Amino acid sequence: MKHIFWIILAVFLLPLVSAQSLDVQSDSSAAGFKRVRVSVEIDSFSGNGSLEFHVSEAFHSSVIIIQGQAGEMSQPLVGEWYDDCWTSTDLGLNWTEIHRSENGQAHAFYSTPQTLSIRCDLTGISQSKEDNLSVRLFDESRELGRINTSIIASTADILPPPPDSSPVIFAIGSIALTIIALFGYLRWKDRKSMNRHGLAFVLPAFLALVLLSFYPVAYGMALSFTDAHEESIGDEEFNGLENYLDVFTSGGFLRVLFFTLVWTFTNVVFHVGIGGALAMLLQQKVRGKLAYRTLLLLPWAIPSYISVLVWKGMFHPEGLVNVLLGTETDFFSGVTQAQTMVILVNIWLGVPFMMMSISGALQSIPEDLHEAAKVEGVSDWARLRHITIPLLKPTVVPLALMGFIWTFNMFNVIFLLTNGGPQLWFGEPGGTDILITYVYDVAFVKGELGLAAAWSVVIFIMLMAFSWAYTKGSKATEAVV
Amino acid sequence: MSEDLAGSELPEMDLARRWYIPYEMELMRRGAILVILICIPMFWVASLRGDGWQSIAMGLAGGLLAVWALQQKNRDLMLASSALILLSGLMQAFFALEVKVAAIDVWYSTITVALGGGGLWVLSSPHMSRWLSSKLELEEAELGLARNHKLSPRWKAATTHAILLHFVIIVLVPVIWIIDVAFSPGQSASGDLGLSDWTITHFDAVLSGSDFWTWGLNSVIVSVGTTMVGLMLAIPAGYAFSRYKFSGHGIMMFSLLLVQMFPGIIILVPYFMVMKTLGLLNTSLGLILAYSVTALPFCVWMLKGWFDTIPRELEEAAALDGCTTFSTFWRIIIPLSLPAIAVTALFSFLAAWNEFLLALVFNTDSSMYTLPVGLASYISEASARWGDFAAMSLIVSLPVVLLFIIFQKSLIQGLSSGSVKG
Repeated sequence: MKHIFWIILAVFLLPLVSAQSLDVQSDSSAAGFKRVRVSVEIDSFSGNGSLEFHVSEAFHSSVIIIQGQAGEMSQPLVGEWYDDCWTSTDLGLNWTEIHRSENGQAHAFYSTPQTLSIRCDLTGISQSKEDNLSVRLFDESRELGRINTSIIASTADILPPPPDSSPVIFAIGSIALTIIALFGYLRWKDRKSMNRHGLAFVLPAFLALVLLSFYPVAYGMALSFTDAHEESIGDEEFNGLENYLDVFTSGGFLRVLFFTLVWTFTNVVFHVGIGGALAMLLQQKVRGKLAYRTLLLLPWAIPSYISVLVWKGMFHPEGLVNVLLGTETDFFSGVTQAQTMVILVNIWLGVPFMMMSISGALQSIPEDLHEAAKVEGVSDWARLRHITIPLLKPTVVPLALMGFIWTFNMFNVIFLLTNGGPQLWFGEPGGTDILITYVYDVAFVKGELGLAAAWSVVIFIMLMAFSWAYTKGSKATEAVV
Repeated sequence: MSEDLAGSELPEMDLARRWYIPYEMELMRRGAILVILICIPMFWVASLRGDGWQSIAMGLAGGLLAVWALQQKNRDLMLASSALILLSGLMQAFFALEVKVAAIDVWYSTITVALGGGGLWVLSSPHMSRWLSSKLELEEAELGLARNHKLSPRWKAATTHAILLHFVIIVLVPVIWIIDVAFSPGQSASGDLGLSDWTITHFDAVLSGSDFWTWGLNSVIVSVGTTMVGLMLAIPAGYAFSRYKFSGHGIMMFSLLLVQMFPGIIILVPYFMVMKTLGLLNTSLGLILAYSVTALPFCVWMLKGWFDTIPRELEEAAALDGCTTFSTFWRIIIPLSLPAIAVTALFSFLAAWNEFLLALVFNTDSSMYTLPVGLASYISEASARWGDFAAMSLIVSLPVVLLFIIFQKSLIQGLSSGSVKG
């Protein structure tokens, strides 16, 4: 059973509140991949309530407990979510899967006030590291009980046999030989010219490029047609277009795509807009220009992961932003608000690059154009509109495309600020997930590498299509203007 | 504009008035726009607080009214709007005093009071009242134009400084915060903004603990390794692309560009599989290989650009003196290219030093973390050690920031030339 190599232990029970009691156990058998099984028993629970599982790394699941029957709810398949949960009202003998509403919210049902058991496999726990799990039970108005325990998902005990490396080595070897042979042929072809010397200089770089870029990309495309899983590397089986169907039919696809586009466009527009404005301001004769320029460069100079974590600290409920604004908000609790915040932070990060690039382009605009216009009595605004902007266009158009691709692929900001949250549960993208952070989740939290490869290919094709259309479009407008 | 002026409001409107508009009008226009602009973030803050939007609505109304009044050249409306803006600032100040004074209230009140008061003051100036109320002599208009010409650059500079200062503050706030937290006792994210009880315990803890040194060593190995491997691949390639038109030249250049276009994500999953299969996860070598090849296209472009500027006559002379192709490259080209090589090296070093995603995915064992991943692990949902994090961040980023600022000119030149071509 190579699917079961995770052992979890250590439970501390805490005293509980009022009539209800909450009992948490962890189960070492049948715990799957990087997961921890938690069973919760609730005594004589009456009224509606909810149960939340927090793991110290990230928010995990919440289950709403409702008296009544499942009715319209859908029954999810095991393995469809990040966290698999079951419920039982007979002391945990017969488990049934927990139902789910359309927005992915999980519902457990019970019919009479009696003992209710809920069992969840919490997934995506870092291996070999002690984490804190807190299980909290709420009724409609207050917290009824809470239990904190520490959990460890350990892979150290039983490791799967190392995957067979011979196919990869064979592939790499044959590609390398092919390239070398190709270069030999090219050299033979160029034998009469001095240019043949160039080939030897290029060979190492080209070899590295093919082996470490083109081969993985091709390999990734092949993977997207298989059921590769982190649990069973080396055991992939071809499963046709299943992964692609999964991608396009998955619940969150359109939502993530939409937010990714909003994220990308907003960021690029503000990067170019603010960056351009600052570049133009700094182009004028200003006292202390060098100081301004250096200070404004800081967000680019500081490593981005540090700035992002610093902003995370500043947006903390007791952080500096709340002090400065005189508010007491948790900025990342609401979806729209969290989205605004991640975008603001990324704008902060990206402006200096655009500012400096546009500044370089501005310096190459000949001064006498502006002088001549001034003599003719052309206003500042008209000079901007008719001289600066048209002359900046050849620089800004490719810059904006590059900004688009970068922002589209910007992983750090969202991963470190919100990890895709809020509302990050049950296998669906969270409120601030963009495509790339969601692919990371699919690949390295859920472990579904084949599916993640399919997502990557879809993203790649979208980016290519966009770049092509953009280049074409900007050339067309250039021809018109 | 001419229609307004020809309108019935000021029947004695004359050529001089059409010709000369006092600079105060321009200042008021800027002020009005500014008021409208600062109301936007204030509304957001008010919505977060759930209170206090009345005074801001008043400010916004004042700003909009001012724009309208300036369009109409109506003195009474201008007065009213200035008063409204002034009042809004005072109201906000009182509101904040009652609840809790925050920096943003001080900012809003200061600006609105200054602008509203300034508006009133400007309206009562002789230039304005004369221009608004009675017939202008041509001579007066001429004098006024000269005055405008004198005032304009001064106020233009002031506006520029005001805008730039705002951006500088936004940039500096996080820096100040991190310094504050690093020197404050305790691990909370609040800092204490006071200088009374500053401490260096966090720096002590970071430097005496093993995390920093382990992760730092990993980062150094990976970054230096990346730089070396990357340069060894990129220098000859850049040289060859610059000098020789061998068969396949075009397609190889294109493949370089193509790799630069690949989104990192498409490589991530297969990289992980390959590295896992080859047993390169949780090693420095895996990261070095991955990084040097991601930075490769860029380095090749940058170096090619430099080699293009070295005159070919040098090599021809060397060849005449009996140098082989390789020794020409090694003895003549490389020494001449040291500045460009240094910049390229710095670039790939910084890229490797700051990379996060691949390091996060490949090296999951905490003894193999690089500094970015290690630092991020200080901040988890349950136990965020902000104090230690801040101290370590300062230590890690200070040299990087200094390097960046010292070499900003060449780095940016290289970056933007590479990017525009790419």
